[in-house]
Amino acid sequence: MTFRDLVAISAGNLSRMKLRTFLTVSGVVIAIGTFVAMVSFGAGNQKYISDQFDKLGLFSTMQVHRQTKTAAGDSTGARLLDGQALTDLSKIPGVRLAYPFDAITVTVAMADSQLSAKAQALPVSAMQTRLFSQLRTGGSFSSDSAKETVVTPQFLHLFGITHPDSIIGDTIVISVRVATVDSGLAGLLPRDSGWVRQQVRAIRFDSLFQSEYRQRQAKRLTNDAISRFVNGFFNHRAVLKETLTVVGVLEERGTGHTRMEPIILPVSIAAKFRSAGLSDDPTALFSALSQGTIFSLDSAASSRSYPQITLDVDPAVPLKSISDSVKALGFQPFSFAEMFEEMQKFFFYFNLALSVVGLIALVTASLGIVNTMVMSILERRREIGVLKSLGADDRHIRILFLVESGVIGAIGSVVGIVVGWGVTRIASLIIKHYMEREGVGPVELFALPVWLILTAVAVGIVVSVAAGYYPASRAARVDPVEALRNE
Amino acid sequence: MIHTTEVCRHYTRGPQVIKAVDAVSITISEREFVAVVGSSGSGKSTLLNLLAGLDSPTAGTIEFRGTTLNMLTRRGLSQYRAKSVGIMFQSFNLIYHRTALENVELALYFNGSSFKERRVAAAAILERLGLADRMTHRPADLSGGEQQRVALARALVKKPEILLADEPTGNLDQENARQIMELLTELNRQGLTVVIVTHDMDIAGQYAHRLIRMHYGRVVASPISAAGGRA
Repeated sequence: MTFRDLVAISAGNLSRMKLRTFLTVSGVVIAIGTFVAMVSFGAGNQKYISDQFDKLGLFSTMQVHRQTKTAAGDSTGARLLDGQALTDLSKIPGVRLAYPFDAITVTVAMADSQLSAKAQALPVSAMQTRLFSQLRTGGSFSSDSAKETVVTPQFLHLFGITHPDSIIGDTIVISVRVATVDSGLAGLLPRDSGWVRQQVRAIRFDSLFQSEYRQRQAKRLTNDAISRFVNGFFNHRAVLKETLTVVGVLEERGTGHTRMEPIILPVSIAAKFRSAGLSDDPTALFSALSQGTIFSLDSAASSRSYPQITLDVDPAVPLKSISDSVKALGFQPFSFAEMFEEMQKFFFYFNLALSVVGLIALVTASLGIVNTMVMSILERRREIGVLKSLGADDRHIRILFLVESGVIGAIGSVVGIVVGWGVTRIASLIIKHYMEREGVGPVELFALPVWLILTAVAVGIVVSVAAGYYPASRAARVDPVEALRNE
Repeated sequence: MIHTTEVCRHYTRGPQVIKAVDAVSITISEREFVAVVGSSGSGKSTLLNLLAGLDSPTAGTIEFRGTTLNMLTRRGLSQYRAKSVGIMFQSFNLIYHRTALENVELALYFNGSSFKERRVAAAAILERLGLADRMTHRPADLSGGEQQRVALARALVKKPEILLADEPTGNLDQENARQIMELLTELNRQGLTVVIVTHDMDIAGQYAHRLIRMHYGRVVASPISAAGGRA
C-alpha cells in the first residue's frame, strides 16, 4: 500500500462525511489561523526592525567608546579615542573605515532665522557608507573641503521646512563663537603692580606658621585665580563664520540608533572652526578640563580626543573577531549586530508566547479530531474487518487512520494559513488607517515568512496526527472476526 | 495442503467455557472441493476463520503447506491472508461506498501491486465473472447474486491457493445460488482448492467432493463422500 493509496483512501473517506469533515477541519482552520495571525504579528515586528537595521547599515556598523572602567576600577587610565586610536582601529582586519564623532555647537543662520544647533564633521568616505548614504534628496558633499553641508530631517524641523527639495542649493551661514585658553591665561596675569602689592600686604607672615591660616589663604588665592581664568576665557571671544550650500537631506531614521547631529559638515570646514579655539559652550571647557586636553588644543587632529569612533565593518568578517581586536586595543566596542542578536532572542520568546495562544486553539481542535476519528472507527468496524480479511495488518490500519488525521490537519493548515493571513491583512489596513490619522508613517506590523508557513503546516499536521494516534491504535486493535460477525 | 491437528477454539464467558471448535483434526488436499456442514452454532464458521488465519486456535495446530499458522506473527498471518487465501462471506461484506471495481481492487492493496496492476487485474476478473457492465456500480445498485460475484472476484483477484467461502449462497435465491456454486466448481476444476461452509446439505452434496460434518464443535463423521465428489 503506497502513500498515494493511503491519501486517496483517506480523502475518499473524508469526502463521504462532508459535514463532519467540514466541522473538524474548521476547528483546525480557526486554530491555525489564530496561530498564523499571532506569530505573524511577532514576525512582522521582527522584520520591520531587521529591515530598519539593514536599511540604515547598522549591521555593518560598530561604535567604539572609551572604557568606562579599567583595571584600576575607574576610567581615569582608560585610553583616549584620539588620532592614534583612529589609526589603530582602522588597521583592524575587517574594518573598512574608521571615523570619529566630532561635534561642535554652532549658530546657524538661514534667511531670517537664526538658532543654535549641533554640527558634526564627517569625511566624504563616511558619507558613502550605508549609515549616511540614505538620502531623502540631493547628494553628499563633493569633497572634504567643499563649502557644502548635508542636513537631517531634524534640521528641517528646526527651521519649519516641510519640503526637503526646497532647501537644496540654499545657503546657510554657520558661525562659532570661540574662546581661547590664551585669553583665560591672560586673565590670570597680574593686572598691575598695585594688585601684587595688595595681595602681599594681605598676608600676615607671622600667621603663616599656622596650618589653618595657610589653608585659608591658599583657598582664597585659588578661587581668585579660577575666577580670573574663567572670566578671561569667556570675555575674550571671537566669531568665526562660514557660508555653506545645502547639497543633501538625509533620510529620516528612528532615534536611539546612532548619534547624528542636524548638520553634517566636511571635515576641513569643521577643523577650521576647531582650530579657532574652544567653543564658548561651557560644556566644551569642562570636557577639555576632564579629559586633560585643555592645554593641547591645536589644529592637529592627532592631539584631539573624541567621545566616539564609528567603524564601518566588512559583513563577511566575523564581528566577534573585530570586537575582540577593539577590546585588545583598550576600547569598548558596541555592535548593532550583536544588539540585534539579543533582540532576536527576545523575539523568539515573544513569538513563542504568541504561538501559545494558537496552540491552545489547536489542542481544542485536536479534541474534535479525536472525536471524529473515534466516530469514524465505530462506523467503519466492518470495513476494518474486511480490510484485515484481505490481508491488511495492524500497521496498515493504523497508518490509514493516521493519514486520515494528517489529511484533516493538512487541509486545515493550508486553509488556516490563508484565513490567518486574511485576518492580518484586515488588521493591518485598520492599523495603518489609524496610524495615518495620527500622522505616523504607516508601518507593516505583520509578516508571513516562509518559515511561518512551513511551521504552521508542520504544527497542524503533527498535532492532527498526534490526535489521531489513539483512534488509529484503537482501529488497529479491531478483531476482524468480531467486526465481521457483528454484521 | 491444510492440515489441522486437534485444533480447539474455546471462548470463556465468565465461568462458562464455550467450545466453538474442539479437537478438530482434518486434512484438505490440493484441488479438493470440501464442504463443511452442520447446523447453526456447530462451529463450522469458526473453523473457517481458523483456516483463514482470521482467528487463532486456543490449542492444536494448523499447517498450511508445512507452515504452522499458530507460529506466525500477526503480520505473518496478514501476509498469509493477503497472498494465499481468498475469503467469501455470506453477507458479501462489500464496502458500500466503493464501486464493484474498487471493492475488487482492495484485495490487491496489501500484496504490493501497483495502481495499474490492480486496475487491470480487477477489471479482468470482473469481466470473467460476467460483471463487465457492473464495474462502476456500487453494491447497493447490484443484485444479491451480482454482489456475491463481486465478493468472489475480490477473493480470486489475488490468485489465492485456497478459497474459503462462508455460506456463499446463504443470502441468495436458488438461481443465483446455483450460478455461484457452478462458478466455484469451475474454478475448482481449473485447479483451485475450495472449502465452503454451508448448512445446505443439498448444495454441499451436489457440488463438494467431500463433506465434513460438525456438531457442537466436533467433527462427527468425517469424511463423508458426497454426490458431487470425483470418484
